[in-house]
Amino acid sequence: MKVTFPHMGNIHIAAKIFLDDLGVDYVVPPISNNKALEVGTMYSPEEMCLPFKIMIGNYIQAIEQGADTVIIVGSCGPCRFGEYCELQMNLLKKLGHEITFIVLDSPRDVGKKELLERAGLLVKESGKNNYSGILAMLKGVKAIELMDEIEKEAYWLAGYEINKGECKKLLHDCRQKVVSTKDSDQALKILKEYKKKINRVKMDSTKQPLKVSIIGEIYTVIEPFSNQYIQERLMDYGVSSNRMLTPSWWLKDLLGKVVKMNSISLRRASQEYLPLGIGGHARECIGEAVLAAKEGQDGAIQLFPVGCMPEIVSKSILPTISKDKDFPIMTLVLDEMTGQSGYITRIEAFLDLLERRRETSHVLFGN
Amino acid sequence: MKVGIPKGLLYWKYGIFAEIFFTELGCEVIVSGDTNSEILNLGIENSVDEACVPIKVFHGHVASIKDQCDLVVIPRIMRLTDREFICPKFCGLPEMIKNSIPNMPDITEEEINAYHEKALYKSMIQIGKKVTKDRRKIQKAFEKAMEAYQTSSCGIHDEKYESKIALLGHPYNVQDPFLNMNVVNKLHHLGVGVMTEEFAPKKEVNEYANQLFKKFFWTFARHCYGAGAYFAENRKVDGIIYLSAFACGIDSVVIELLKDRVGDFPFLVLKMDEQTGQGGFDTRIEAFVDMIERRKECEGNFSSYGEHSYSS
Ligand code: SF4
Ligand code: SF4
Repeated sequence: MKVTFPHMGNIHIAAKIFLDDLGVDYVVPPISNNKALEVGTMYSPEEMCLPFKIMIGNYIQAIEQGADTVIIVGSCGPCRFGEYCELQMNLLKKLGHEITFIVLDSPRDVGKKELLERAGLLVKESGKNNYSGILAMLKGVKAIELMDEIEKEAYWLAGYEINKGECKKLLHDCRQKVVSTKDSDQALKILKEYKKKINRVKMDSTKQPLKVSIIGEIYTVIEPFSNQYIQERLMDYGVSSNRMLTPSWWLKDLLGKVVKMNSISLRRASQEYLPLGIGGHARECIGEAVLAAKEGQDGAIQLFPVGCMPEIVSKSILPTISKDKDFPIMTLVLDEMTGQSGYITRIEAFLDLLERRRETSHVLFGN
Repeated sequence: MKVGIPKGLLYWKYGIFAEIFFTELGCEVIVSGDTNSEILNLGIENSVDEACVPIKVFHGHVASIKDQCDLVVIPRIMRLTDREFICPKFCGLPEMIKNSIPNMPDITEEEINAYHEKALYKSMIQIGKKVTKDRRKIQKAFEKAMEAYQTSSCGIHDEKYESKIALLGHPYNVQDPFLNMNVVNKLHHLGVGVMTEEFAPKKEVNEYANQLFKKFFWTFARHCYGAGAYFAENRKVDGIIYLSAFACGIDSVVIELLKDRVGDFPFLVLKMDEQTGQGGFDTRIEAFVDMIERRKECEGNFSSYGEHSYSS
């Protein structure tokens, strides 16, 4: 058995630590790239959403390197993610790949026992006991939490850094270094080191960078390839950016913890505009937009793949929020054709708009 | 009180229920007119660009009657069956309407859960409260509406044609002749009968749908997939036409799964959006019907050959 998994941002860092410790053979698919998108698009039904297509590309590139088992997390809800695995299995089969899928569903939907059984397949393969399986998992979770924190800081501090490009460089170095070792303790050590490093970046706290929230559909928000590295671009422009949806948020959400912990304020914020969950992460999107306006950020960018049902509902609500709170929000709809140039022009135009608003408000309020 | 009922989305299944319910409550009920290009255009103007055409059409219906009404029924249908949904856009329908159409009168925003008569009753009490405080009256209206719904029939089942096609898709796509360019008439004209999902036995529909690795959590996906597989594998029809709204995430999944399931059984997908032209549709339907009849002839020949060889 040689397992693989689809990419979603930095998830592979955690997955790698988990699988290394478990001692299971695995392939990390090449970081999502144009070729992956190209093959994914070629083989996927045309109207499937972008995440589906990129994931297929990931699998195929991993299969080329010998993978024969796919681990995927199927979350159930009124959206397509939950139906992915079935279509993906059929699709790969038609291409002549006999691939085993291990689908980790939320225990809410398949029951704890079934979930443990499915996860047990992996542990059995490794020849280790359940206890080491859980230990490996905890290390993976720790890793993704650290990585998310580092990333969050880097994206935010980029607006304040004195040596331009330092945050971005640190982030890249960190990602590279942490996957270069097969020793999980070493990997965690590297992450902790970088966490310190990022907090020691020289900053000019008198700077007043533009602040932008990235909101919308979870995959396109988290997987940088799918959004053409929007947050890294913002770093280049010296803009501080912020997003709430991260792999560690998602993990907690899957385990049902978030409900009690950090999403209360979000719920309160979304209450006025979308008082209930409708599937996907539409409610989070609305709540984040409201919070971003309240926190005094300059604007928000909503991202979603073409045809994304829940986010289309959000998009119809956002203009009202924008008007009520006098808060600019731009929507970028992503597909496999998201041509670099038009896309970048729109981001730049939006940043210009935010700049201009600041200038006029300075004049108005005399500060 | 004047209550508006837009003739879009699941009006095609539950319209009668809503009409009777509000009439019994003593309201003057205003149902929007049949879908036409004016309504479609109103919908396009008053909805978010990325929405699918049935949602846009619904917006158009709402916009066309809102000024005559004190209350417009915007059903937030959460569930028709336990643990299943319809589509995120149904759950967020009131929000889409409120934020897209200016100067809306009062609307019904309450959640409707219809997986059980009791649950539905509870939902309707909430909605009825918008009209009257008299619970007894609401209860009576509910009972009358239920009765009317249960004795109404929905769907198409043509008996007298030799060739038959299963017409699958969300009910509004299958039943709104404007949206689907009158495909039913067209088929009748070509001498082909039509059968819809409602006429596949429930038990079989579920059985076929449950053979999937993963259970659907969308009600109409289960219906269409189960019915399609049942019709095809039991040769209840000669072909399947799937009517799908362009960019419908749910249809895109069902179509792929159903295609995998039925193999080389004749299967045509017709996609509808605001620009679909009658011409293209007609040619495709004609070609499909041609193909089915040729196929039938062939099969007829084969089986008669078969019989010969047996008897000799
Ligand atoms: S939330 Fe959007 S992108 Fe995700 S599965 Fe649903 S439709 Fe696709
Ligand atoms: S089910 Fe499909 S056609 Fe119906 S509202 Fe949702 S996306 Fe549109």
